[in-house]
Amino acid sequence: MLVVFGGDEPTMTNNAIAAWLQFKKKKYHIILPFTLPSLLLFLVFLVYPYGQAMYISLTKWRGLTPKPTFVGLANFEKLLGDALFWNALKHNLIYLVSIPAITIVISLYLAFLLTHGKARFRKFYRIAFFFPQVMSLVAIGVLWSFIYHPTIGVLSSIASMLGATDSIAWLGNPDLALGAVGTVVIWQAVGFYVVLFMAGMDSIPESYYEAATIDGATRWDLFWKITLPLLWDTIRTALVFLAIGATNMFAITQTMTQGGPNRSTDVLSTYVYERAFLSGKFGYATAVAVAMFLLAFALSILTMRATRRESLEY
Amino acid sequence: MKQQLSRRDFLKSSGALAAGVMASQIMPLATAQGDLPFEVVPEAVNPLGLEAGANVEGVFFEGGFGRSYIDNAADIFRALHPDNEMTVEGIQQVSEILRPRFIGGNPPDVIDNSGAFSIPMDSLVADEQLADLAPLMAAPALDTPGMTFGETLFPGSQADGVFDGRQLYLNIAYTVSGIWHSQSLFDEKGWEYPRTWDGLMGLCETIKSAGIAPWTYQGKFPGYMVFGCLMPLVYKNGGIQAIKDIDNLVDDAWKSDAVMQALNMMHQLVENDYILPGTEGLTHTESQAEWLQGNAVFIPCGTWLENEMRELTPEGFDMVVKPVPGPDESSYHSVGAWPGEPYIVPVNAANVTGGMEFMRCMLSKANAQFFAKEISAIMPVFGGSEGVELSSALQSALEAVEAANGGFDYLSRGWYSDLWTAVANATGELLTGRISPDQFAETVQAAADEVKADGDIPKYTRA
Repeated sequence: MLVVFGGDEPTMTNNAIAAWLQFKKKKYHIILPFTLPSLLLFLVFLVYPYGQAMYISLTKWRGLTPKPTFVGLANFEKLLGDALFWNALKHNLIYLVSIPAITIVISLYLAFLLTHGKARFRKFYRIAFFFPQVMSLVAIGVLWSFIYHPTIGVLSSIASMLGATDSIAWLGNPDLALGAVGTVVIWQAVGFYVVLFMAGMDSIPESYYEAATIDGATRWDLFWKITLPLLWDTIRTALVFLAIGATNMFAITQTMTQGGPNRSTDVLSTYVYERAFLSGKFGYATAVAVAMFLLAFALSILTMRATRRESLEY
Repeated sequence: MKQQLSRRDFLKSSGALAAGVMASQIMPLATAQGDLPFEVVPEAVNPLGLEAGANVEGVFFEGGFGRSYIDNAADIFRALHPDNEMTVEGIQQVSEILRPRFIGGNPPDVIDNSGAFSIPMDSLVADEQLADLAPLMAAPALDTPGMTFGETLFPGSQADGVFDGRQLYLNIAYTVSGIWHSQSLFDEKGWEYPRTWDGLMGLCETIKSAGIAPWTYQGKFPGYMVFGCLMPLVYKNGGIQAIKDIDNLVDDAWKSDAVMQALNMMHQLVENDYILPGTEGLTHTESQAEWLQGNAVFIPCGTWLENEMRELTPEGFDMVVKPVPGPDESSYHSVGAWPGEPYIVPVNAANVTGGMEFMRCMLSKANAQFFAKEISAIMPVFGGSEGVELSSALQSALEAVEAANGGFDYLSRGWYSDLWTAVANATGELLTGRISPDQFAETVQAAADEVKADGDIPKYTRA
């Protein structure tokens, strides 16, 4: 029997209709078992904890008993007047403005060089750049703490070779520490985006470049007029990733400075940790965390909106 | 100060091994109670009425003191109660690991709640999580016949653990804090530790012209300079009243003459360039290592220093601790000292009696002697250093406390963590020359005012 799907098919017989309904019913029999597990996982491990966190942010809780005391929006009210919260947020915003921009510029430059510069040892460079990505952030933090070490660190040795008399305490100086930590994050992230951008660049047909070169385009033109527009979707994704990363920064800050010296590297995540686990103010800490979540959420939407352009098909 | 105990555990590998060897040596078989090396009078065997088969779970912060002394106490417990199992688990992140157990209502039976990541004691007290240790305090001591457990502890050493008349935690270590140097270096150079601050500054000048940095401190954790130098100077300038005013959040306590004099004295280290360059970028262990390598002569610290740095200490270094010298000789002897490393028995633990019984073994004379011998640290237990050959560090610490006739303590450090952080941060700024003593007083007083005005922070007073 012929069954034609969809529409108001006048030729459908009663039998056909029955079969169609049967199929529709069966369809859900098939769809449900496949979606249910992931839906369940999503609810149990994402929606529920988020909901619970939202609730805890409305309570006063020391994190020792199962019964937080409800206080309404008091924590958020306190947060608005908390200079330490604003201090931490300021550092997140500095990271947010600087880290994605610098990382993307360096990565694009290196990726373009490796793709079009006919560099020798291309594969070697790609692996070398990517290497920091496979190391844990904590290991990187410890490693760089040694590089920044004021007496035995590599940087100090270089500085003294160049004639510096005073050793520089990179992580001990409030003016330098934030930049020092940010640099490590950029160093760590660049490799990943180089590989990402290289993959994107490799998929741009060589013929575009050839045609443009014949028309007399310089390498600069090739980058701005061909590579960048065709890579835009990848860059957009990179921006969102990096922006979300810049609102976090916990592992690297906690390993290298614990927010010091004098809170000059405190970020929201380390502040949340301090309030929750060291001061025993879980309700308030969760309120800070909720603010952090809203910030990251808003940022992702904003980044996607601001960078929305017509995708170029090729 | 708790930060220092939180970090790396230098004892871990070798110490634990040594402890195993030790334990088997001091536990010659055969006495009335299994394998105990000392006699236990019948009424001290099981005064709390621990039931056979009720096992004890202990979870302990494992920091600067290592874990060998905990294992030793557990071995005493096992020998005393062969029918009860005892587990010993060493951890660092006490707060992260044990909070879920508290929330779930099944905390371990005994906990060493110490280190930088301990659970705030005020939270535990406010949420009624701690067992009243009255039965333990009144029980016969394990190896000091004729005395109760409470009577064997140094008077005053457990005062900070009393809340509304209830003993809620027990400090197992007694820390002496001051300025450390290498005695062998001093002998070699013919230097003598000065009796006044001016004398110390004079010696610093001599040291500096000899091409060595006179001073370093635990850079990234400038709090060491607060309890190790600033507070002693405040005490020496203004007596205990100046410290009490700070602790009791008296208005403008941080702007008193005593504090200003102390700040100006400490600031001379900055003005005269006596601090090892780069110090502010070092962690506590890194700066202590610089000091051990002879790159700086003085460092502030507490008595955990010797054990913390044991593996990096050069042969014949002979570290000793001395009081911070004051404005005149008469104030030389007073020294900062306080009990620490608090142990708790959670009220909701499955075996509260077992937790208390373990504490009787922990703070026994035998374990205190083990602590003095192996860890070179002091337990607040009478007779704890009897028959023990003391290291130069421990010897000097005991001499200092004796000469001072007991030490003084600065309590608000433990009461108001936000204020403590502000003091430590401002000290770092002062020592790197970024703020002046006046700005220090302004900043810290503002932080103290904020704590005082915050109704959510429970307030304490000392008499």
